[in-house]
Amino acid sequence: MSAEDSGFMIEPVCKPKDNKVMNLLADVTGGTSYKAHKYALDHSERPSVDYGSSEIVWKRRAETTLHKTYVDLSDRCQKLAGQDDQILSYFLDGSRRVFKVDDMAFSQSGNRSVIYPVVAGQIGVGCCRRVGKKMVPAKFKREFVLSMPDVADADRKSGFWPATVKKINECDELKRLGIVFSTILPYKTSKNDDKKYEDRATASIQDKMIEREKDLVAELVREGKLNQDNYLVKDGSLEYRPTKEDNADKKKYQTFKNNFSWVIGASKNFNPEVCMDVSGKPNPGFIANLPLYHRTPVAEYENPMLGDIKFAVWYIRLRDKTRTRTPFDGILKVEKILVTEEENEHGIESDLVDTLSAYLMNERNPVCYGSDLRWANHLYPIYLTESFVKSRYLSTESFLHLF
Amino acid sequence: MSTLIGRILATEKSPTTIDEFNFWTNSDLKLSAFDIVKVEHIDESYTFGVIENISHITDAQSFLTNFISSDFGDVNIDEPTLRVGMNYAKAKVSFNSGNLYTPVHNNAKVYLATAEEITMALGLDKIQNPLVCGSLKMYEGTPEEVILPVHLNSKFILGPEGAHLNISGISGLAAKTSYAMFLMKAIQDQYHNDVGASVAFVIFNVKGKDLMAIDRPNDFSSDSPGEKERTLAEYEALGLSTVPFKNVKYYIPYTSSNSAKQSTYLTKGEIQDNIGTGQLKKFKYIYSDDKENIEMMFADIDDPTQTMESIISKIIDKEDNDFGGLSTWDDFMEKVTEKAQKGSPGDKGDISVLSWRKFKRVVRKAIQDDMFANGVNSSKAECHLADELKLIRKNEVHVIDIAKLPEDKQAFVFGDAVRTIYNLKLGEYDTESSIDPPSRIIIFIDELNKYASKDVPKTSPILREILDVTERGRSLGVILFAAEQFRSAIHARVTGNCATHAYGRTNSIETSAKDYSSLPNTYKNMLTRLEQGDYLVQNPIFRSILKINFPKPIYKQFKQ
Repeated sequence: MSAEDSGFMIEPVCKPKDNKVMNLLADVTGGTSYKAHKYALDHSERPSVDYGSSEIVWKRRAETTLHKTYVDLSDRCQKLAGQDDQILSYFLDGSRRVFKVDDMAFSQSGNRSVIYPVVAGQIGVGCCRRVGKKMVPAKFKREFVLSMPDVADADRKSGFWPATVKKINECDELKRLGIVFSTILPYKTSKNDDKKYEDRATASIQDKMIEREKDLVAELVREGKLNQDNYLVKDGSLEYRPTKEDNADKKKYQTFKNNFSWVIGASKNFNPEVCMDVSGKPNPGFIANLPLYHRTPVAEYENPMLGDIKFAVWYIRLRDKTRTRTPFDGILKVEKILVTEEENEHGIESDLVDTLSAYLMNERNPVCYGSDLRWANHLYPIYLTESFVKSRYLSTESFLHLF
Repeated sequence: MSTLIGRILATEKSPTTIDEFNFWTNSDLKLSAFDIVKVEHIDESYTFGVIENISHITDAQSFLTNFISSDFGDVNIDEPTLRVGMNYAKAKVSFNSGNLYTPVHNNAKVYLATAEEITMALGLDKIQNPLVCGSLKMYEGTPEEVILPVHLNSKFILGPEGAHLNISGISGLAAKTSYAMFLMKAIQDQYHNDVGASVAFVIFNVKGKDLMAIDRPNDFSSDSPGEKERTLAEYEALGLSTVPFKNVKYYIPYTSSNSAKQSTYLTKGEIQDNIGTGQLKKFKYIYSDDKENIEMMFADIDDPTQTMESIISKIIDKEDNDFGGLSTWDDFMEKVTEKAQKGSPGDKGDISVLSWRKFKRVVRKAIQDDMFANGVNSSKAECHLADELKLIRKNEVHVIDIAKLPEDKQAFVFGDAVRTIYNLKLGEYDTESSIDPPSRIIIFIDELNKYASKDVPKTSPILREILDVTERGRSLGVILFAAEQFRSAIHARVTGNCATHAYGRTNSIETSAKDYSSLPNTYKNMLTRLEQGDYLVQNPIFRSILKINFPKPIYKQFKQ
């Protein structure tokens, strides 16, 4: 008895070949898909030192009291812990998962063709709110993106990438699964940089993620959910670039900036080399020797890329140096945008810095020891937000099967 | 509308199966073992499960994670964010509304069940000949709390399908006697007006005067105010009357009125009152009628060479030269003394003098009591117990007081009564006049371990009687309701023949015995902390063990 006679029909799983994403891409870009091995490019998250390029100089103080050295906050921590109230209510984190999905050959002059990797990624940005010591999801955004070499746009047509995205989204398979790629991010192929192509593609997806994070921060800020009793703690740096709209409407921009009074950034990784001491020399030791439950003085930091925004930066130590692997484990870099004119001129109120620092220090427990190698630097609500975001990803198998 | 409480969990390591499933719930949701949950299943059917265990987990990978989370061991640290945690419950499948026992699916919705659904899930909706055996409480302490009466099929406790009840539990905390009395009260209520079947009860009072006023109402004097109304309402909710036992007769061992030592805990006034109402009689044993029962005095005595048995058969032999013509206990003792005398010829030497001496020792001690008499004076409310039991009628309750008797005499009275009832139902007395036994006679005895423990000599005549009752009583209509502290100590053939088992509070040493190995661990632990009035009941018609509760006694309570 055949399968059909018995009443069972197995639906053909394989779609016609030309309907796959990679075939469509090859079609549109004129490249040749090599059907190469597909794999994840992410490595497990581990504690690392982020050698960024920004410089922080302690010469310029950004707080009202001119502290010369570390500030002890252990008493304040204890006092706040006893009060049982909270001002850190929202926690935001973004993450991405990147896969190399194919190699594609693009012909150049003559018979010459060059092979470039095609990278796809899932971006997830989520925000959780703490209600009575419990975390509840507040917002979540997921996006699927592709990254291709810039040479794929052979004719340098404007609107080439959006048109391509539109075309692949019309693919039956994606429609059936309800998956939409939001954008294709071209990565630079010029040889002036010794970074690998995969890394360049990953960087472009990472940039997109940061952009999405900022969008979500902006959304929360615009919705007015944040105030002096409800701060938002964002995982990572706070570098926010004003949009064209912001630049156009100065008044709106100012209101928007005002709302950033209630946002702080907390970074697990930072570049200790950029911390210069009063004499303008790099002094990573100044941070490494930060005692438990102490903070550094607040420094001001400006990045011309980010417009007229000034940042206040300081470091706090959550864990005893003797309990961690390296002296930089257990230290958190805290950022806050200088909003008002007064703040821009004289720096943030030192008392506020102390309070925020103490609240953050109290977030040291519980820990995610055992589930995350970066436990010493992790804030548990952030860790939960991260877990929440990751739990919403499409599984690796399902995602890779799209290509 | 049912309340949605969680979703099914099915993973590679913990799959759902035909037998069981796991589901997650909010950690604050109050659920307990034995609660029933309803799960959506295929073909719009519902699978019902009984909760066996509930676990709480968090995302902490190890104990160390938690230790570190308190700043490496500072006990005063409070965390600003609670660790993510959840409860998951393990449930045993009890029923599917569409008879579909394929495993329930991952993420299927789990609900609390309604009263009707619980009844259906436990198979309580189709019970024939329903006999209430208590009430069951689900979702205790939640707004969805459900209280349901639980019914047994009376044919599975009183025969002919299944018979006998065994109640185990530690003294005081388990309220074994109260539960047996509650069931008997329910049976009397049910069969009072029943023309088809008829039931009578023979109850042994073994402690104080606990069961010596079961026809008087409970005054609830030692309970908190309002307890009376609450208890009576519970009886009404279970469909029972709120009056105590009817047609009760009491039997106490005879003691002469001028003897300082009384064989009952009843006061002289109470005895007189009961005699006045015609409810109480004092029983006596007469040599000519009761010599067959002498063997009961040897229930606890090892007799490997069966010499005691040969002596007893010699005594009850009507043709015997020595004992054949005797008619009083004194004559009998005299003869025994003679046999035990040094140089006595014995019985052609087949029973030694030493054996006679041993026999004499046991018997002399046993019959040194007023109740071993020469005659019965019925005008003074005296009786011969076996004759009274033979005349037992439908709905009657006979309470035999053996509380103050020493153990050997308790055994004698118990053995005699059981034998009489067994023979009565066997039809041995059918030729005698005015014999009309009810179709079922229930015998209730507490402290069964005294008569049917694993340590009782195999030759014990009482053990033999009990085995006869448990193995053949079902068809004859002799039903044994027995209670003991430790079920594991009872002869396996006795417990094995009981259709209904009620487990009250017990200790962990007992639950680790082999008898309890079929119970899941959670239930075993639960047995060690059951409240007074809570029982786990097992009966062939129940789909699973049920945790039931019964109301306080409705008859008079004596507090020591």
